[in-house]
Amino acid sequence: MLETRPTSIARIAVLTLLAAGALSAAAGLAVWRAGWYNIGATTPHLGIVYKVLEQAMRYSVQHHASKVKVPPLGEAEALRGAAVYRDNCAECHGGPGVAPSTPGLAMQPAPGPLVDASMRWQSRELYWITRHGVKMSGMPAWEFHLSEADTWAAVAFIARLPDMSAQEYKRLTALAPKEGKAQ
Amino acid sequence: MKAPRVFRAASLAAACLAGASLLTACDSGPKPPPGVTGDPALGKLALTQYACQSCHKIPGVIGSDTFVGRPLEGIGKRPFIAGDLLNNQPNLMRWIQDPQSVQPNTAMPDLGVSEKDARNISAYLLTLD
Repeated sequence: MLETRPTSIARIAVLTLLAAGALSAAAGLAVWRAGWYNIGATTPHLGIVYKVLEQAMRYSVQHHASKVKVPPLGEAEALRGAAVYRDNCAECHGGPGVAPSTPGLAMQPAPGPLVDASMRWQSRELYWITRHGVKMSGMPAWEFHLSEADTWAAVAFIARLPDMSAQEYKRLTALAPKEGKAQ
Repeated sequence: MKAPRVFRAASLAAACLAGASLLTACDSGPKPPPGVTGDPALGKLALTQYACQSCHKIPGVIGSDTFVGRPLEGIGKRPFIAGDLLNNQPNLMRWIQDPQSVQPNTAMPDLGVSEKDARNISAYLLTLD
Protein backbone atom coordinates (compact mmCIF):
# COMPACT_ATOMS: atom_id res chain seq x y z
CA MET A 1 0.00 0.00 0.00
CA LEU A 2 2.64 2.49 1.06
CA GLU A 3 4.63 1.86 -2.09
CA THR A 4 1.86 1.80 -4.67
CA ARG A 5 0.48 5.24 -3.78
CA PRO A 6 3.27 7.48 -5.09
CA THR A 7 3.41 5.43 -8.29
CA SER A 8 -0.28 5.93 -8.99
CA ILE A 9 0.01 9.68 -8.36
CA ALA A 10 2.94 9.84 -10.75
CA ARG A 11 0.99 7.87 -13.33
CA ILE A 12 -1.99 10.24 -13.06
CA ALA A 13 0.34 13.23 -13.41
CA VAL A 14 2.01 11.81 -16.51
CA LEU A 15 -1.31 10.85 -18.09
CA THR A 16 -2.72 14.33 -17.40
CA LEU A 17 0.30 15.99 -19.01
CA LEU A 18 0.08 13.69 -22.03
CA ALA A 19 -3.64 14.36 -22.41
CA ALA A 20 -3.12 18.14 -22.12
CA GLY A 21 -0.31 17.98 -24.68
CA ALA A 22 -2.38 15.92 -27.11
CA LEU A 23 -5.36 18.25 -26.66
CA SER A 24 -3.38 21.42 -27.39
CA ALA A 25 -1.67 19.77 -30.34
CA ALA A 26 -5.10 18.83 -31.72
CA ALA A 27 -6.38 22.38 -31.17
CA GLY A 28 -3.31 23.83 -32.90
CA LEU A 29 -3.70 21.41 -35.79
CA ALA A 30 -7.36 22.37 -36.18
CA VAL A 31 -6.58 26.12 -36.30
CA TRP A 32 -3.69 25.49 -38.73
CA ARG A 33 -5.62 23.17 -41.08
CA ALA A 34 -8.86 25.15 -41.06
CA GLY A 35 -6.93 28.28 -42.12
CA TRP A 36 -8.46 30.39 -39.36
CA TYR A 37 -5.38 32.54 -38.89
CA ASN A 38 -5.82 35.38 -41.38
CA ILE A 39 -2.69 35.62 -43.51
CA GLY A 40 -3.99 38.72 -45.39
CA ALA A 41 -1.92 41.89 -45.12
CA THR A 42 -4.90 44.14 -44.42
CA THR A 43 -5.44 42.36 -41.10
CA PRO A 44 -2.77 43.01 -38.48
CA HIS A 45 -1.18 40.19 -36.53
CA LEU A 46 -2.65 39.49 -33.13
CA GLY A 47 -0.82 41.82 -30.73
CA ILE A 48 0.87 38.92 -28.96
CA VAL A 49 1.98 37.31 -32.24
CA TYR A 50 3.47 40.61 -33.44
CA LYS A 51 5.38 41.16 -30.20
CA VAL A 52 6.69 37.58 -30.03
CA LEU A 53 7.88 37.63 -33.67
CA GLU A 54 9.46 41.07 -33.32
CA GLN A 55 11.33 40.10 -30.18
CA ALA A 56 12.43 36.81 -31.77
CA MET A 57 13.92 38.81 -34.65
CA ARG A 58 15.73 41.09 -32.22
CA TYR A 59 17.26 38.17 -30.28
CA SER A 60 18.19 36.35 -33.49
CA VAL A 61 19.93 39.37 -35.00
CA GLN A 62 21.78 40.14 -31.75
CA HIS A 63 22.96 36.53 -31.60
CA HIS A 64 24.00 36.15 -35.22
CA ALA A 65 25.65 39.56 -35.57
CA SER A 66 27.69 39.32 -32.38
CA LYS A 67 30.92 38.37 -34.19
CA VAL A 68 30.70 40.86 -37.09
CA LYS A 69 33.70 43.22 -37.18
CA VAL A 70 32.86 46.83 -38.01
CA PRO A 71 35.36 48.61 -40.29
CA PRO A 72 36.11 52.31 -39.77
CA LEU A 73 33.21 54.28 -41.28
CA GLY A 74 33.79 57.94 -42.07
CA GLU A 75 32.48 60.81 -44.17
CA ALA A 76 33.42 59.18 -47.50
CA GLU A 77 31.52 55.97 -46.65
CA ALA A 78 28.48 57.94 -45.52
CA LEU A 79 28.41 59.91 -48.77
CA ARG A 80 28.77 56.75 -50.82
CA GLY A 81 26.05 55.26 -48.64
CA ALA A 82 23.68 58.08 -49.60
CA ALA A 83 23.59 56.73 -53.16
CA VAL A 84 23.27 53.12 -52.03
CA TYR A 85 20.44 54.08 -49.71
CA ARG A 86 18.63 56.16 -52.31
CA ASP A 87 18.83 53.42 -54.94
CA ASN A 88 18.14 50.34 -52.78
CA CYS A 89 16.64 51.18 -49.40
CA ALA A 90 14.44 54.26 -49.83
CA GLU A 91 11.90 52.43 -51.97
CA CYS A 92 10.60 50.52 -48.95
CA HIS A 93 11.94 52.54 -46.01
CA GLY A 94 11.65 56.12 -47.27
CA GLY A 95 13.85 58.82 -45.74
CA PRO A 96 13.49 62.10 -43.85
CA GLY A 97 10.64 63.90 -45.65
CA VAL A 98 10.49 61.21 -48.35
CA ALA A 99 7.78 58.53 -48.46
CA PRO A 100 8.42 54.92 -49.41
CA SER A 101 6.92 53.83 -52.74
CA THR A 102 3.48 52.18 -52.70
CA PRO A 103 4.62 48.59 -51.98
CA GLY A 104 6.63 49.81 -49.00
CA LEU A 105 3.53 51.45 -47.55
CA ALA A 106 1.16 48.52 -47.66
CA MET A 107 3.37 45.65 -46.49
CA GLN A 108 2.67 43.67 -43.35
CA PRO A 109 4.77 44.11 -41.30
CA ALA A 110 5.48 47.65 -42.54
CA PRO A 111 9.19 48.00 -43.39
CA GLY A 112 9.12 51.23 -41.45
CA PRO A 113 11.53 54.14 -41.38
CA LEU A 114 15.27 53.72 -40.81
CA VAL A 115 15.55 57.22 -39.39
CA ASP A 116 15.87 55.76 -35.89
CA ALA A 117 17.42 52.42 -36.87
CA SER A 118 20.87 53.27 -35.53
CA MET A 119 19.32 54.07 -32.16
CA ARG A 120 17.77 50.59 -32.02
CA TRP A 121 20.59 48.53 -33.56
CA GLN A 122 24.37 48.37 -33.44
CA SER A 123 26.21 48.97 -36.73
CA ARG A 124 27.21 45.30 -36.91
CA GLU A 125 23.53 44.35 -36.57
CA LEU A 126 22.44 46.75 -39.31
CA TYR A 127 25.09 45.21 -41.54
CA TRP A 128 23.93 41.69 -40.70
CA ILE A 129 20.25 42.51 -41.36
CA THR A 130 21.12 44.13 -44.70
CA ARG A 131 23.38 41.29 -45.78
CA HIS A 132 21.15 38.40 -44.74
CA GLY A 133 17.65 39.86 -44.84
CA VAL A 134 14.84 38.82 -42.48
CA LYS A 135 12.71 35.77 -43.23
CA MET A 136 8.94 36.28 -43.66
CA SER A 137 9.22 40.04 -43.25
CA GLY A 138 9.81 41.09 -46.85
CA MET A 139 13.36 42.27 -46.06
CA PRO A 140 15.54 40.81 -48.81
CA ALA A 141 19.10 39.58 -48.40
CA TRP A 142 21.60 41.84 -50.18
CA GLU A 143 24.65 39.58 -49.86
CA PHE A 144 24.67 38.68 -53.56
CA HIS A 145 23.36 42.03 -54.80
CA LEU A 146 25.40 44.64 -52.97
CA SER A 147 29.17 44.69 -52.51
CA GLU A 148 30.69 44.49 -49.05
CA ALA A 149 31.82 48.12 -49.34
CA ASP A 150 28.36 49.32 -50.42
CA THR A 151 26.68 47.43 -47.58
CA TRP A 152 28.94 49.12 -45.03
CA ALA A 153 28.43 52.44 -46.82
CA ALA A 154 24.67 52.06 -46.37
CA VAL A 155 25.22 51.34 -42.67
CA ALA A 156 27.41 54.45 -42.41
CA PHE A 157 24.67 56.55 -44.00
CA ILE A 158 21.90 55.04 -41.85
CA ALA A 159 23.98 55.92 -38.77
CA ARG A 160 23.72 59.61 -39.81
CA LEU A 161 19.94 59.59 -40.26
CA PRO A 162 18.75 60.33 -36.69
CA ASP A 163 19.86 63.97 -36.83
CA MET A 164 19.50 64.49 -40.58
CA SER A 165 16.92 67.05 -41.71
CA ALA A 166 14.72 66.55 -44.75
CA GLN A 167 16.79 69.20 -46.61
CA GLU A 168 20.07 67.55 -45.69
CA TYR A 169 18.74 64.19 -46.84
CA LYS A 170 17.64 65.70 -50.13
CA ARG A 171 21.01 67.40 -50.59
CA LEU A 172 23.11 64.31 -49.80
CA THR A 173 21.09 61.91 -51.93
CA ALA A 174 21.07 64.37 -54.85
CA LEU A 175 24.84 64.88 -54.52
CA ALA A 176 25.57 61.20 -54.60
CA PRO A 177 26.38 59.79 -58.05
CA LYS A 178 23.83 57.53 -59.70
CA GLU A 179 25.67 54.27 -59.22
CA GLY A 180 24.27 52.81 -56.01
CA LYS A 181 24.26 49.21 -57.23
CA ALA A 182 27.92 48.33 -57.48
CA GLN A 183 29.24 44.85 -58.26
CA MET B 1 -42.06 28.20 -4.42
CA LYS B 2 -41.56 31.95 -4.28
CA ALA B 3 -37.80 32.03 -3.72
CA PRO B 4 -36.87 29.97 -6.82
CA ARG B 5 -39.10 32.13 -9.05
CA VAL B 6 -37.39 35.31 -7.85
CA PHE B 7 -34.09 33.61 -8.39
CA ARG B 8 -35.05 32.63 -11.93
CA ALA B 9 -36.20 36.17 -12.74
CA ALA B 10 -32.98 37.60 -11.42
CA SER B 11 -30.83 35.27 -13.50
CA LEU B 12 -32.93 36.06 -16.59
CA ALA B 13 -32.39 39.77 -16.00
CA ALA B 14 -28.65 39.20 -15.57
CA ALA B 15 -28.51 37.25 -18.81
CA CYS B 16 -30.37 40.05 -20.65
CA LEU B 17 -27.98 42.64 -19.27
CA ALA B 18 -24.96 40.60 -20.31
CA GLY B 19 -26.45 40.13 -23.77
CA ALA B 20 -27.24 43.83 -24.11
CA SER B 21 -23.73 44.89 -23.10
CA LEU B 22 -22.28 42.40 -25.56
CA LEU B 23 -24.44 43.85 -28.32
CA THR B 24 -23.42 47.42 -27.59
CA ALA B 25 -19.78 46.34 -27.44
CA CYS B 26 -20.08 44.87 -30.93
CA ASP B 27 -21.95 47.91 -32.26
CA SER B 28 -19.11 49.87 -34.04
CA GLY B 29 -16.31 51.58 -32.15
CA PRO B 30 -16.13 54.98 -30.50
CA LYS B 31 -17.80 57.88 -32.29
CA PRO B 32 -15.84 60.93 -33.50
CA PRO B 33 -16.92 64.39 -32.29
CA PRO B 34 -20.04 65.91 -33.91
CA GLY B 35 -19.49 67.47 -37.34
CA VAL B 36 -16.77 64.96 -38.28
CA THR B 37 -17.52 63.03 -41.45
CA GLY B 38 -16.10 59.73 -42.67
CA ASP B 39 -15.96 56.21 -41.28
CA PRO B 40 -13.59 55.72 -38.32
CA ALA B 41 -13.47 51.92 -38.78
CA LEU B 42 -12.43 52.28 -42.42
CA GLY B 43 -9.93 54.93 -41.39
CA LYS B 44 -8.34 52.59 -38.86
CA LEU B 45 -7.77 50.07 -41.67
CA ALA B 46 -6.69 52.69 -44.22
CA LEU B 47 -4.02 54.18 -42.00
CA THR B 48 -2.22 50.83 -41.83
CA GLN B 49 -2.14 50.80 -45.64
CA TYR B 50 -0.16 54.05 -45.61
CA ALA B 51 2.10 52.67 -42.83
CA CYS B 52 1.18 55.50 -40.42
CA GLN B 53 1.86 53.07 -37.54
CA SER B 54 5.48 52.63 -38.62
CA CYS B 55 6.29 56.15 -37.37
CA HIS B 56 3.43 56.90 -34.96
CA LYS B 57 2.20 54.94 -31.97
CA ILE B 58 -1.56 54.83 -32.52
CA PRO B 59 -3.99 53.49 -29.91
CA GLY B 60 -5.90 50.49 -31.28
CA VAL B 61 -3.36 49.82 -34.04
CA ILE B 62 -0.83 46.99 -33.67
CA GLY B 63 2.78 47.84 -34.43
CA SER B 64 6.23 48.38 -32.97
CA ASP B 65 7.02 50.88 -30.24
CA THR B 66 8.09 53.75 -32.46
CA PHE B 67 8.80 57.39 -31.76
CA VAL B 68 9.85 58.70 -35.17
CA GLY B 69 6.62 60.67 -35.33
CA ARG B 70 4.59 61.97 -32.43
CA PRO B 71 2.49 59.32 -30.62
CA LEU B 72 -1.14 59.94 -31.56
CA GLU B 73 -2.75 59.04 -28.26
CA GLY B 74 -5.32 61.68 -27.36
CA ILE B 75 -5.05 63.50 -30.69
CA GLY B 76 -8.82 63.93 -30.73
CA LYS B 77 -8.53 66.17 -27.68
CA ARG B 78 -5.50 68.24 -28.70
CA PRO B 79 -6.15 71.91 -29.46
CA PHE B 80 -3.37 72.07 -32.09
CA ILE B 81 -1.66 69.72 -34.52
CA ALA B 82 1.63 70.10 -36.42
CA GLY B 83 2.72 72.83 -34.02
CA ASP B 84 0.25 75.67 -34.49
CA LEU B 85 -2.46 74.33 -36.79
CA LEU B 86 -5.92 74.37 -35.20
CA ASN B 87 -7.10 70.80 -34.66
CA ASN B 88 -10.20 70.20 -36.75
CA GLN B 89 -11.02 67.71 -39.48
CA PRO B 90 -10.20 69.88 -42.53
CA ASN B 91 -6.83 70.87 -41.04
CA LEU B 92 -6.02 67.31 -40.02
CA MET B 93 -6.85 66.11 -43.53
CA ARG B 94 -4.63 68.80 -45.01
CA TRP B 95 -1.78 67.81 -42.71
CA ILE B 96 -2.21 64.11 -43.60
CA GLN B 97 -2.44 64.75 -47.34
CA ASP B 98 0.16 67.47 -47.78
CA PRO B 99 2.30 68.03 -44.68
CA GLN B 100 4.80 70.20 -46.60
CA SER B 101 2.06 72.75 -47.30
CA VAL B 102 1.75 73.25 -43.54
CA GLN B 103 5.42 72.91 -42.56
CA PRO B 104 7.83 72.98 -45.50
CA ASN B 105 10.64 71.44 -43.44
CA THR B 106 8.76 68.62 -41.76
CA ALA B 107 10.22 65.10 -41.94
CA MET B 108 6.71 63.70 -42.36
CA PRO B 109 6.45 62.76 -46.02
CA ASP B 110 3.58 63.21 -48.48
CA LEU B 111 2.26 59.64 -48.61
CA GLY B 112 -0.17 60.19 -51.46
CA VAL B 113 -3.23 59.76 -49.22
CA SER B 114 -6.47 60.13 -51.18
CA GLU B 115 -9.19 62.57 -50.07
CA LYS B 116 -11.51 59.71 -49.08
CA ASP B 117 -8.85 57.88 -47.07
CA ALA B 118 -7.70 61.11 -45.40
CA ARG B 119 -11.32 61.76 -44.36
CA ASN B 120 -11.71 58.28 -42.86
CA ILE B 121 -8.27 58.34 -41.22
CA SER B 122 -8.94 61.73 -39.66
CA ALA B 123 -12.35 60.46 -38.49
CA TYR B 124 -10.60 57.59 -36.67
CA LEU B 125 -7.86 59.81 -35.20
CA LEU B 126 -10.45 62.28 -33.89
CA THR B 127 -12.07 59.48 -31.86
CA LEU B 128 -8.83 59.10 -29.86
CA ASP B 129 -9.07 60.79 -26.49
